[in-house]
Amino acid sequence: MKQLGQFLTNSWTLGALAIALAIGASYADTGTVQMWSFVVINILLAQSINLLTGINGQISLGHAGFFAIGAYTSAIVLKSWGVPFPIAVALAGGLAAVVGYLLAGPAGRVREFYLAMMSLAFGLIVYELARELRGVTGGVMGMRGIPSSQIGTLQIFGWTIDTITYFRILLAVLIVAMLMLRNFVKSHYGRAFYAVHVSEIAAGSLGISQAATKRAAYAISGGLAGLAGGFYAHMIGYLTPESFGLMRSVEILVMSIVGGLGSLAGQAFGAILFTYLPQKLQAFNDYQYIVYGLILVFIFTLLPKGLAGLLKTQTRYSKFDQLKGMDSGAAVAPLSIKRGDEGGDADTPLVRIENIKMEFSGLRALAGVSLDLYRGRITALVGPNGSGKSTLVNVVSGIYTPTAGSIHYKGQDIAGWPAHRVAQAGITRTFQDPRNVPSFTVRENILMGAHRRYRHSAIAAALNTPQAKREERDFLLRVDALMRAAGLLDYADTIMSELPYGIQRLAEVARALASDPELLFLDEPAAGLSEVESGLLAALIRLARDHGVATMIIDHHMDFLAELAEEVIVFEAGEEIYRGDMDGMRANPAVIQAYLGVEELAHA
Amino acid sequence: MDFFIQMIVSGMSVGAVYAMIGLGLNLTFWTTRVLNFGQGSVLMAGAMLTAVMVGSGVNVFLAVGVSLIATAVILWLVELVSVRPMLRLPGSMGWVVSTLGTGILLQGIASWLFGTQAVAFPDVLFRSVDTVEFMGAYISLQYIAVFVISVLIVCLMELFLRHSIWGYGVRAVAHDRDLASLMGIPVRRVVVFSFLVSGVLAGVAGILISQVSGTVDPNFGLHLLILAFVAAVVGGMGSAFGSLAGGLILGITEKLVGGYFSPAAAEVVAFVLLIGVLTVRPQGLFGKRETVKV
Repeated sequence: MKQLGQFLTNSWTLGALAIALAIGASYADTGTVQMWSFVVINILLAQSINLLTGINGQISLGHAGFFAIGAYTSAIVLKSWGVPFPIAVALAGGLAAVVGYLLAGPAGRVREFYLAMMSLAFGLIVYELARELRGVTGGVMGMRGIPSSQIGTLQIFGWTIDTITYFRILLAVLIVAMLMLRNFVKSHYGRAFYAVHVSEIAAGSLGISQAATKRAAYAISGGLAGLAGGFYAHMIGYLTPESFGLMRSVEILVMSIVGGLGSLAGQAFGAILFTYLPQKLQAFNDYQYIVYGLILVFIFTLLPKGLAGLLKTQTRYSKFDQLKGMDSGAAVAPLSIKRGDEGGDADTPLVRIENIKMEFSGLRALAGVSLDLYRGRITALVGPNGSGKSTLVNVVSGIYTPTAGSIHYKGQDIAGWPAHRVAQAGITRTFQDPRNVPSFTVRENILMGAHRRYRHSAIAAALNTPQAKREERDFLLRVDALMRAAGLLDYADTIMSELPYGIQRLAEVARALASDPELLFLDEPAAGLSEVESGLLAALIRLARDHGVATMIIDHHMDFLAELAEEVIVFEAGEEIYRGDMDGMRANPAVIQAYLGVEELAHA
Repeated sequence: MDFFIQMIVSGMSVGAVYAMIGLGLNLTFWTTRVLNFGQGSVLMAGAMLTAVMVGSGVNVFLAVGVSLIATAVILWLVELVSVRPMLRLPGSMGWVVSTLGTGILLQGIASWLFGTQAVAFPDVLFRSVDTVEFMGAYISLQYIAVFVISVLIVCLMELFLRHSIWGYGVRAVAHDRDLASLMGIPVRRVVVFSFLVSGVLAGVAGILISQVSGTVDPNFGLHLLILAFVAAVVGGMGSAFGSLAGGLILGITEKLVGGYFSPAAAEVVAFVLLIGVLTVRPQGLFGKRETVKV
């Protein structure tokens, strides 16, 4: 089954299939070819919603809205203004993309149920407008006489397009769109889309802006649905608002979900199934709704991963497979060497935290904390639970805005910056509980850490330009080097959620290093690690230090910290109570009182 | 002026029913994080069964009682077949498909049993010609009865959720399913309970709304479901009173715009209202902001 799955999703197989269909269209009757064209349009729609809902996690119950905008735009500009067909369809996609981009503004802050309703409202508003704006759309009577392939009135630069040629054009568009989508999903953009889906906070800590990511997802998804709409209009030549109602939106979503959210190939299966199913069900006459309902109710009990689950292949979010056989002989440094901006003065602090106060509705978590961190130095931060250690990390990494105080980093006060901007500037943190993407492999997770360092554009990613390939390959090599240093090579292509806790921890630290940070915060990295894993972790942290990274570690393992830290700072109730070396801390009465405690004398 | 009052009263009446439908949706959403897209057909089932039974001479109270038991059982089955298996498949969103499927299945069964034609709904509460005069406007007693019953039920639900042991259970499961389970709350039973109550609420709402609209057919429900969604979201998903406020705002706006401009404009207004409210307050008017834990 797996071989069959790989065979079916192989580009050569699909290419051969497409050519066979394109040739076969000449021998099939017009009705059949028309159905094939419907299938292609539905695949485009399913891909569109899959990108938004399956990959970016934003539920849409209003996709028929984008579809309608595309259909009416293309029909109007071609029919009334005589814009050539290719430009009309491109305009359709473009306008729908702009609408998607604008919709992402309010929708980006809204979650779950609310988001579903917001998209539903969008779809229904478009539907009502299509019904009411009689002068533009023809209202409920519909819009007739749109040049179309069905009645042979569609021309491209003087050539008349019949149903068969139209199908071939659609097929070509679909193949290009799917290849571009595949490349896009496997790029750092695809990883960012998925990271926002899984955890907006973890994504932010890697420099991924959730707002910008959602805007991109809405715009691309809307554009694709609009494009499908444009092609739809010129296929059938007649538009009525009833084609764009709520049920159409729901149908698109069902297609995509049954196909298997997240899987590009699954979308094609879902679209094929739901294009033919209603037709086939007509044989059941009065029972057709009952049968249809039963299929929907039980399909997931039978196929828990949707139709894509049958293929036994998973979408992978890196171009590792495409770039296999890349030159891995050359030794690549996992991190770059960092020097101070002002001539490598190790005594100038990289970051200067001054008098930071953090209050949560009266509760004081940090009562004016000041400290400096230096390049190539490891500082330990310890203290009892609730003493404000993690709060400090959350403030510096931009998750909280401090009540007062400043954080000077490379000549700027970054206090209150959003998390993704802080991360973009080179400050990376890990979390108390590992925040990896559970369904990614170790390699993909670590590669995601490099997000902030990617330079190529979305278009370059989708087209797989030489620059995009080179960049992806460079980072894959660096990830290899990091995995070697962290002892993770054996697990490189294992799914994260299948690995033991200690490995997940190490992978998260390796991911943080993949961002090539200037400043690194590790929040209890050694908690729950075995001795061997602690050793690997310590080696990773030293690697970062030797490359000039300023590091702060929060932990409770004194022996682990003693090996690494040059300086230790102790917090108690949001205030610093000690700063100095390890031995001094162990002897300090205040620290013993607040944190370490007195060892029981009666060991017995 | 009397037209205005009539519009306000009918708006309040349908708005209160939206609130009750919204509350039913809310209950199951809280306990399972699943949105039941089949709820519209459950409304239909409750109203249809009542109409058919009363039409064939069954006592009104008996008919209503049987219909409500039927809708509760339907939602219990929905939980068993369409929701529970899906919770084991996080991320697949299979629940959209399976709950929608139950809705379509119910519609299919109703059309097969009772035909696709609209069935006249019998006078269960007063007669449609019974009116009272208020400031020169004649107001249907049915509207008033529907309003009073809906508001009463919503308020009772609020009290129940806040002060009964089952209410605590529902709120605990809504807050954190795993934690509730660790605390010894019988999560499974609370979930099933929430579906049973949601079924009864849907049945009552279906009967009340059919009483004021006069007929019921197999396709009725989806549109109501959408408006109830809007009411629940505008009000905020967290509280029964939020649903009520959302429902009333929506019902009155809808009737006024529909009465003075056009029914089509009323539709658009509902959705514009929804987007407007969510843009300003992503958690709805009375909803609590969800805090994201770091």
